Amino acid sequence: MTQSQTLQSAQSEGRTFLNEVESKQVLRDAGIDTTQATLATSRDQAVEQARAIGFPVVLKVISPDVVHKSDMGGVKLGLKDEAETAAAYDDIVASINANQPGANIEGVSVQGMARPGTEIIIGMSKDAQFGPVLMFGLGGIMVEILKDVAFRIVPLTRRDARSMIREIKGFPVLNGYRGQEPADIEKLEDTLIKLSEFVQQHDEIKEIDLNPIFAYKDGLTAVDARIILEEQAG
Amino acid sequence: MGIDVAKFDRLFNPKTAAVIGDKQALGYSWLNSMSTFKGPVYSVQIDEREIPNIEAMGYQNFKSILDVPGDIDFVIVSVPRKFAPMVLQQCIEKGVGGATFFTSGFAETAEEEGIALQDQMQQMARDANFMLVGPNCMGLFIPGRGVRFTTQQYSGEAGPVGFIGQSGTQSMYFSLLGGAHGVKVSKAVSLGNAIVLDVPDYLEYLGQDPDTKMIGMYVEGVKDGRRFFDVLKDVCKRKPVVIWKGGQTSDGARAVSSHTASLATEYTVWESLVRQCGALPVHSLEELVDVLKGLLYIKPSTGTRMGIMALTGGQAVAAVDAFAKQDFTIGPLSDSSYEELSSFFSVIGASYRNPLDISSNLPDQTVLVRILDILERDPTIDAITTELTTSLLDRRESMGEGYVDNLINILAEHRERTKKPYFCTVCPVDQEVAAIDMRDRLLARGIPSFPTFHRSANAYRKLVTYNEFLQDS
Repeated sequence: MTQSQTLQSAQSEGRTFLNEVESKQVLRDAGIDTTQATLATSRDQAVEQARAIGFPVVLKVISPDVVHKSDMGGVKLGLKDEAETAAAYDDIVASINANQPGANIEGVSVQGMARPGTEIIIGMSKDAQFGPVLMFGLGGIMVEILKDVAFRIVPLTRRDARSMIREIKGFPVLNGYRGQEPADIEKLEDTLIKLSEFVQQHDEIKEIDLNPIFAYKDGLTAVDARIILEEQAG
Repeated sequence: MGIDVAKFDRLFNPKTAAVIGDKQALGYSWLNSMSTFKGPVYSVQIDEREIPNIEAMGYQNFKSILDVPGDIDFVIVSVPRKFAPMVLQQCIEKGVGGATFFTSGFAETAEEEGIALQDQMQQMARDANFMLVGPNCMGLFIPGRGVRFTTQQYSGEAGPVGFIGQSGTQSMYFSLLGGAHGVKVSKAVSLGNAIVLDVPDYLEYLGQDPDTKMIGMYVEGVKDGRRFFDVLKDVCKRKPVVIWKGGQTSDGARAVSSHTASLATEYTVWESLVRQCGALPVHSLEELVDVLKGLLYIKPSTGTRMGIMALTGGQAVAAVDAFAKQDFTIGPLSDSSYEELSSFFSVIGASYRNPLDISSNLPDQTVLVRILDILERDPTIDAITTELTTSLLDRRESMGEGYVDNLINILAEHRERTKKPYFCTVCPVDQEVAAIDMRDRLLARGIPSFPTFHRSANAYRKLVTYNEFLQDS
C-alpha cells in the first residue's frame, strides 16, 4: 500500500492511529529514515522474521490499548538468537495480559537493534489557532523533565529547521559532548523539512511522535514512531 | 494580501470627522479628545438636553450623520447599543470613510441580545464593505491628524511607531508611556471586538504604511491564525514588529495523545510563531516601550562586543553581569587602546579595563571625550554604553555648577559622531524624579536611556536579534 492508502484505509476503518509498523512504513515512504519493522502475529512468525532481519533484534508489542509500551513490559531489546526471541514473544504477551488485562494484542513488531546514537525527539501537533507545528528536542530527560524543545509552524523553511535545532539549550550535545559522537545536523534539518512537507500533504494526521530518533555522525534513524489520525467526520 | 489600502488610507488620514452620541455623562470626552483634530469635527446628537452644551463647546450639531454637510472620513460612535445598527446603517448610507464604535454591550457580555446585535452589525458592515473599527473599543489615535481617544494623549507631533492593541487600557497606556519615552505613534488602533477589521488587517496596513517604521502590538489572541502568520512573516521582512502577548495561561484541559502535543502549549507555540516570523516577543508594557525605543534611537547593528563605561566600580560589575546575561561579550580592548588610555587615565580608585570604571577621571571632562573616542576607534568594540546615575552625578554638580550640562553635551556630541550603537543606563536609586529629568534631557539630544542595566541589555539584545534576522533572510 502507498502512504495515502495506508492512511485512508486506517481512517475509513474508524481508527485514530497507525501502529508502529504502519507509521514507520508511511514515514519511510515520505523519505524519513526509520528502522524497518514488521508485524508478527505469532511466536513462530516473530522468530522467522528475526532470522530474516539478523540478530540482535527488538520486539515491541503492537496494541491499540497500550500507550506506555516499556512500562507495561511490552518491549524487549537486544535479543541475540531464536530462543531469546521466542521467549521474549511469550514474555511480552504474558506481561501485557498481567499488567493491562483485556488489552487487545495484535502482535509484536520485529526490528533490528539500532546502534545507539544521540537521542532526539521530533514530532507534530496541531495548534487550534495556527495549525500544524513541528517540535524538535533532545530525547530522554531533556524533553521529559526540562521540556527543552523548540517549535515551528508548518511549513518550515531551511532557516526555520536550522534555527529550531540551534534554539534548544541542549544544542551543544549535538556537536559531540565529551567524546560522544556528534549528530548529523544537516540530516536532522532534512528530516524536519521532509516531515513538514509530509504533514502539509496529509490533513488527516493529527499528531506524530518520532521518539526516539537515534542521530549519528552520518545519518539517523527513528527507532519508534506514532501517527495519530483525526477522527473522521460523520 | 487582502486589504483595500485606499480605504485604510482614508480612515487613517482623516480630513473631516464626526462624533455621534457624546454626552455629559462621559464628560463629552470624545468631543474634547477630538478638539485637537486638524479639520472640521461635527457632532451628531438627538438629545435636546445635550445639544446646548455641545454647541456651547463650539461644535455644530446635527440630528443625523446624514444631515452633516460634505464628505466625512472618520466617525466616532458612542450611542447606546440598541441604536448602534441604525447609526451604522446611516454611516454606510452617508459613505463615511469608517467608524469606530466605542459602544459596548455586544458579544463580550456573552448575552443573547448583545451577540445578536453584534452579528447584525457584522453582517451589515461586511455586506457594505464598510470600515468598522470595534465595537467596544477606544478606536484610533493618530497624533499627526489630532485624532485622540483621550485628552491625556499628545497631538500634533507624530512618531514612526504603529500600534495595534487588543485592549483599550493597554492601548492608552502604551501611547502615554511611549510618549514620555520618545516612542511616538504614527497610527494606533485599539480594536475591541474586531468584528470586521481584525489584527491581520491592521498589521497588513501598518506594514505597508510609509509613515510607520516599526510596529508595537498588544495581543490576547487572534482569530485567523494562518493569515496572521502569513502577514506577520511578510511585514517583519520590512520593519520590526514587537509583540506583547497578554493572557499567557496554559490550556491544560486539551485532550492530547502524543508527547509532542502535550508539550505544544498555546503560549509555547505562540512564542515560536513570533520568533519564526522574525518578530520580537516582549512580556510587559515597559518592555514593549523599551524595545521600540531601542529600535528607534539606537543604530541598527548585529554587534555584540560591548564597551561599557561606568561611574563606579560597583556599577561596572552590575553592568557586566546584566550584559553578560544577555550573551554580550565584554572583552579586553585592543592593545593600542590600552596604550593610549594608560597615557592619561587616572587609575587610582578606577580601572581602564573593559568595563571602564571612570570614577577618578570624572573631574576632568576632557578625559571623558578621549575615552569615548578611544572606544569609538577600537575595532574590538561594536557598541558603547554609559552609566549615568544621578545620585552620584549630584555630588559632582555640587562641586561645580554646569557639570551635568557639560557632560550631556559631551555625550550628545559623541552620539552625533559615532558610527556605533550608543545608549545609556540612568539608574534612579533614590532619585526617581531626577532620573526622569536626566532621561528626558538625554532623549532631547537623541540618546536613549533605560533605568536598569538589565533593561538596557534587553533592549539592545532585541535590536541585535532583529538585525540578525534581516541579515539572515
